[in-house]
Amino acid sequence: MMNSTEEECCGREKMEKDVHVTFLELMYYLLPSPYESQEINHLTLAYFVISGLDILNSLHSVAKDAVVSWVLSFQAQPGANADLNDGQFYGFHGSRTSQFPPDENGVLIHNNSHLASTYCAVAILKIVGYELSNLDSESIVTSMRNLQQPDGSIWLVLQVYVKIYTPNDMLEWNYFLFLNFLIYVGSFIPIHTGGETDLRFVYCAAAICFMLDNWSGMDKEKAKDFILRCQSYDGGFGLVPGAESHGGATYCAIASLRLMGFIEDNILSSRTAASLIDVPLLLDWILQRQGTDGGFQGRPNKSSDTCYAFWIGAVLRILGGCNFVDNKALRGFLISCQYKYGGFSKSPGEFPDLYHSFYGFTAFSLLEESGLRSLCSELGITENAATGL
Amino acid sequence: MASRSGESEAEEEQHRRVPLRERPEWSDVTPLPQNDGPNPVVPIQYTEDFVEVMDYFRAVYVADERSPRALALTAEALQFNSGNYTVWHFRRLILESLKIDLHSELGFVERMAAGNSKNYQMWHHRRWVAEKLGPEARNIELDFTKKILSIDAKHYHAWSHRQWVLQALGGWENELNYCTELLEVDIFNNSAWNQRYFVITRSPFLGGLKAMRESEVLYTIEAIEGYPENESSWRYLRGLYKGETASWVNDPQVSSVCLKILRTKTNYVFALSTILDLICSGYQPMEDIRDAIVALKTTDMDKQNNDDDEIGDQQNLNIARSICSILEQVDPIRINYWIWRKSRLLPST
Repeated sequence: MMNSTEEECCGREKMEKDVHVTFLELMYYLLPSPYESQEINHLTLAYFVISGLDILNSLHSVAKDAVVSWVLSFQAQPGANADLNDGQFYGFHGSRTSQFPPDENGVLIHNNSHLASTYCAVAILKIVGYELSNLDSESIVTSMRNLQQPDGSIWLVLQVYVKIYTPNDMLEWNYFLFLNFLIYVGSFIPIHTGGETDLRFVYCAAAICFMLDNWSGMDKEKAKDFILRCQSYDGGFGLVPGAESHGGATYCAIASLRLMGFIEDNILSSRTAASLIDVPLLLDWILQRQGTDGGFQGRPNKSSDTCYAFWIGAVLRILGGCNFVDNKALRGFLISCQYKYGGFSKSPGEFPDLYHSFYGFTAFSLLEESGLRSLCSELGITENAATGL
Repeated sequence: MASRSGESEAEEEQHRRVPLRERPEWSDVTPLPQNDGPNPVVPIQYTEDFVEVMDYFRAVYVADERSPRALALTAEALQFNSGNYTVWHFRRLILESLKIDLHSELGFVERMAAGNSKNYQMWHHRRWVAEKLGPEARNIELDFTKKILSIDAKHYHAWSHRQWVLQALGGWENELNYCTELLEVDIFNNSAWNQRYFVITRSPFLGGLKAMRESEVLYTIEAIEGYPENESSWRYLRGLYKGETASWVNDPQVSSVCLKILRTKTNYVFALSTILDLICSGYQPMEDIRDAIVALKTTDMDKQNNDDDEIGDQQNLNIARSICSILEQVDPIRINYWIWRKSRLLPST
């Protein structure tokens, strides 16, 4: 005999798909005011909503044509006489606050297009079934090269120059500064006016090239070398060489290597010892991220967080090690982060946000929850969207 | 905007933001509205204040006005959206044009960090300022990151920035001690362990990994013995032998600490998996280790493979299989992994 509280609890063991769909639909129609603090990432928020609806098999709620014209309106168009090697990146802007019209001569003097926004834009277009060959991918891909950090040899030459011509007090510092650049060779900055450079943007670049099926936008070898330098002594990957290994960074590393074709499918079942990365060490590190509460943590000795169920889970999916996860325990943790009125929070008992909700949905897709579409782990979109069927 | 806690209505009235359109110093500027396009998707429910600030920002940005009031406006805009890289970039342009003393800018970032320090753009800006200041910024930056880390000892951005400071500006001399201090407070702080590795491998004052190995092994073993359930210390120990598996396999200190932990019969999961990994790399456990492992087996485990009956490779295989069996029981969340590890064991390991 079940009393009402028990019924409630049993009901709560379910992944409440319908409630989540409503949650996303509400966001699709209007993002509440608190999200204005993330307006610069407007396209990313849209990606969470639209990709989320797709994963929940509810893309019918979305007006695809309206989405296409909205996304395309963010594209940074090079003017007729623009040189794609002028140092600028001609991708997609992430928001209206960073987008400005070209001047009276059609020259785009304020170009704030961004690598991560471009990834989101292309992903959304793919999800709603837009024919990507209609996109001016040449501009995107050619100009993307301007964002990859330059060849180390250039800096070696500059070092010599600097040693000879710099006043003594600044000499050592300039030397260190130039040496520093060598660390980042192969990595990407997100925007040509300057920004931090780390694995997140290597991933964005690789995903864009993959979706546009055009790898002339990046030097894969240099990118690979940078990624390998990010593997930490413990097997995980940090965002830059030397940084602490981290679930999100590890996802960026492995997904990028896979997209670029440097990791074979289902690498764990192969017995060949030789590999670019220390797979056994990585596997052991990754699996240790599952805590006694069933959830995944991003780093050793930190608390579990919903989003790592994707970052870590997706890495395992790519490596072929999904069955090493205690899925029942993971599910339990995720359910404890499920919000009654839709969405997922970072940890149990907190309010949901769009980011953690999206990664909660992807995590359930990886768990093969019925009613959800299967996920292309490397791209963060459904397999349906990835293959364009 | 949310009200500050504990304020009376009168106080709140004083702190209420004066709209830009009511400020005389902005009366000559026509704000530029945002062009959201015909059919906006996923629209944001902007507040009036947000709209106004960004309309004024657009105006000065398009006019390329590099003035003190524009600088103040960027600060205001960043209050509404601290990640807005367009605003940050324009702020940098103004700082350069006005030749503002960048020390005050360090103060600006510090005040921002007090609000929310988990912001990539803010840290990039800090780095840009520090780069411009050069060597004199070194101690300021080390102090700043130390301050952040005293509140959150695992702050990823702070650690990244600190690593950049050390590599670009120096200051390595005291860093290993700093790591030791942090680990004294919390031996489980994985960020501090990572920083330790960073220092011993990259500091120009220490001899590199090989030279530091001996002292670091002693340090780590002590940490392991204190808290054998601490993943960070075990991973660090293994990391000390990176690229030299033979040294790791042959160092008696490694197997010795494992044996010690196994004998306590508590918190021995990492000790077991370390022995397993060692065996897979060619280690051949001696009788004392084998006995300690067998002692952990429960009655329902497969006792068929009695180690004393076999020798050499088969014996190693049996003990490895025993380890996997034990781990299946004591680390059940990873049971499938241990079963898989067992299936991958070959006689030659």
